[in-house]
Amino acid sequence: LSREDFQRIPELAINPLGDRIINAFFPEGEDQVNFRGFMRTLAHFRPIEDNEKIKDQNGPEPLNSRSNKLHFAFRLYDLDKDDKISRDELLQVLRMMVGVNISDEQLGSIADRTIQEADQDGDSAISFAEFVKVLEKVDVEQKMSIRFLH
Amino acid sequence: AEARATSEGQLPGAAAMGTGTPPSPSGTAFEETRLHVFTLDYPHVQIPFEITLWILLASLAKIGFHLYHKLPSIVPESCLLILVGLLLGGIIFGAEEKSPPVMNSDVFFLYLLPPIVLDAGYFMPTRLFFENFGTIFWYAVVGTLWNAIGIGISLYGICQISAFGLTDITLLQNLLFGSLISAVDPVAVLAVFENIHVNEQLYILVFGESLLNDAITVVLYNLFKSFCQMRTIKVIDIFAGIANFFIVGIGGVLIGILLGFVAAFTTRFTHKIRVIEPLFVFLYSYLSYITAEMFHLSGIMAITACAMTMNKYVEENVSQKSYTTIKYFMKMLSSVSETLIFIFMGVSTVGKNHEWNWAFVSFTLLFCLIWRALGVFVLTQIINVFRTIPLTFKDQFIIAYGGLRGAICFSLVFLLPPAVFPRKKLFITAVIVVIFFTVFIQGITIRPLVEFLDVKRSNKKQPAVSEEIYNRFFDHVKTGIEDVCGHWGHNFWRDKFKKFDNKYLRRLLIRENQPKSSIVSLYKKLEIKHAIEMAESGMISKVPSSVSLSDYHEGKIKPLSPTEMENMREILTKNLYQIRHRTMSYNRHSLAADASEKQAKEILIRRRHSLRESLRKTNSLSRERPVLVFYGVFW
Repeated sequence: LSREDFQRIPELAINPLGDRIINAFFPEGEDQVNFRGFMRTLAHFRPIEDNEKIKDQNGPEPLNSRSNKLHFAFRLYDLDKDDKISRDELLQVLRMMVGVNISDEQLGSIADRTIQEADQDGDSAISFAEFVKVLEKVDVEQKMSIRFLH
Repeated sequence: AEARATSEGQLPGAAAMGTGTPPSPSGTAFEETRLHVFTLDYPHVQIPFEITLWILLASLAKIGFHLYHKLPSIVPESCLLILVGLLLGGIIFGAEEKSPPVMNSDVFFLYLLPPIVLDAGYFMPTRLFFENFGTIFWYAVVGTLWNAIGIGISLYGICQISAFGLTDITLLQNLLFGSLISAVDPVAVLAVFENIHVNEQLYILVFGESLLNDAITVVLYNLFKSFCQMRTIKVIDIFAGIANFFIVGIGGVLIGILLGFVAAFTTRFTHKIRVIEPLFVFLYSYLSYITAEMFHLSGIMAITACAMTMNKYVEENVSQKSYTTIKYFMKMLSSVSETLIFIFMGVSTVGKNHEWNWAFVSFTLLFCLIWRALGVFVLTQIINVFRTIPLTFKDQFIIAYGGLRGAICFSLVFLLPPAVFPRKKLFITAVIVVIFFTVFIQGITIRPLVEFLDVKRSNKKQPAVSEEIYNRFFDHVKTGIEDVCGHWGHNFWRDKFKKFDNKYLRRLLIRENQPKSSIVSLYKKLEIKHAIEMAESGMISKVPSSVSLSDYHEGKIKPLSPTEMENMREILTKNLYQIRHRTMSYNRHSLAADASEKQAKEILIRRRHSLRESLRKTNSLSRERPVLVFYGVFW
């Protein structure tokens, strides 16, 4: 699949984060994704099953664990892949999600506020650990799960 | 009569003889009336005058409620309207010492009910409705049957206790009573749920059930009524009843769909006479209703099916202005009807058709509540096995609690033939008590209950502005991924229907020249619009303001006061883009579609660069594949 194939999906065209979502399917620098890669990305959204306790503690964490779901979301923000969401990256995402009525100033102060609430080590950027901490009360499993093939 | 006879005899006589004064119009040939300078002729305009006054009163009452802005949020409008009706009824009763005009069941069923159902059916989220169709159908049919028979039999048991003085009510009469009181009423449900903004899924379950159970109610009501009047009941009659149910339900739906298609086909040719386009919508849907009623099929299902069918195709054929007209006129009609219904219910309560019996009334109420709760619980356990998203206890509670009775059972009880039902007044009283209880007490308490249950679910509230952003972010991502894997769309039947639809129906029912030009013209529109926006607002500055820069450089961000935080939250809630319709809360009285259209256009404008790139690439890569990127998006 190429990016154009994704952009042909009508509902994705009017999704504000459409571009970012499409990018998430493509591994670094490539323009094509095969079925395996496609599945890998979608596997992040499998619902977490309660009775499926981690059988092998030594094995790799399943893709649909809470931590990996959050990682997926984090990567949507973090374009330059430096494991931090800087103010600019946050502003970009905010601008995408918000209408044309908000001025840059207002948006800037909202972004500042967001960073301030999450930031614990004072570097004016959100690291992955801080991201997880902020969202610890949010029901991520529910929000990032889709029941496939029903 | 004598005067008329003489005047009639006079006329030819006078003509023949040519003498004497011609008879005056009042018929008395022997009186001369002077010319009246000023006359009052009330009987001439009585009927339209009274109708207008009622409607005016209803609308003024509505204005009155909204003057005190907190009132409609505490007490649903339906309660207030009934109170107004009670007041009016009391006044009329006191003034004239006779029972006020009881709401005529014909007026209700033929004039007041259709607009409400039409409005609800036209704006029903069809996707969600069909996805939950199995559940809705299950609740409507089996649930109503369960309720009807349960209430009927338990009331019969109560009647057998001779201490209550009810032994003359037979089993069949009880069953009939049970069947008419178990019907969840769409009007009441709409009126109450509109205020509390539950999520669409829950709303569609309760409301869909109230619509579909009309078929069962019609069948059971007629069945038991005929049984009451027949001497012997044979087994064949029961089977006839079951067959009747299928005919009533399916027949109603078929009539609705057929007329919906005819309406869509008609609007295909109306582009020269745009002005009467809305009329067709209303005429055809009303026609479907009364045609179904003529055959004693389910009129409600017919009009719902008609509205849902029409919605898809008519929207593409009519002009924008006609579409707006249809929307607003429908809302207006349904609003007026609903108001009138509740006022009439209040008025009709006052009067002399009551017979109070503590046991019957209280047990009726009790059994209604118990059987409804039991029914919902048991049915949900069964249906959860088949559902993709099982219904939680909170959902079940709201569904059970939202089973409101209303005007339909009220009218049905008035339609009972008094010859067969000597205790008709008792039934009327019981029905009124149940309706008042559900509308008032359940209607008023459902809102705090919904909030109470919600608070329990999310234990700790994060006082963070970022919460809003993250939540919306996750919703967008999930929606996007769902669209990518076609999660909602890979329903087999839905795909099949879509293919059939595209191949045959759309070609037949939608005007030819639409698909080809819409993409190009739409793209042009977007470009022009963006150009205008840029010209009006000036270039959006990319330079951050000096204030935020200085703060940033200092490395610390000053804490915000609560008011500033409030402002931020307000800004966010107002301006963050909504995700697709699916999880928006439902509100009958506002037309939310405009907001999402605007939003979609904004997003598309912004993304036009990347989309244009992709369009160009696909154009160059494969010329045979039609470029339908935008068509699917825009209706």
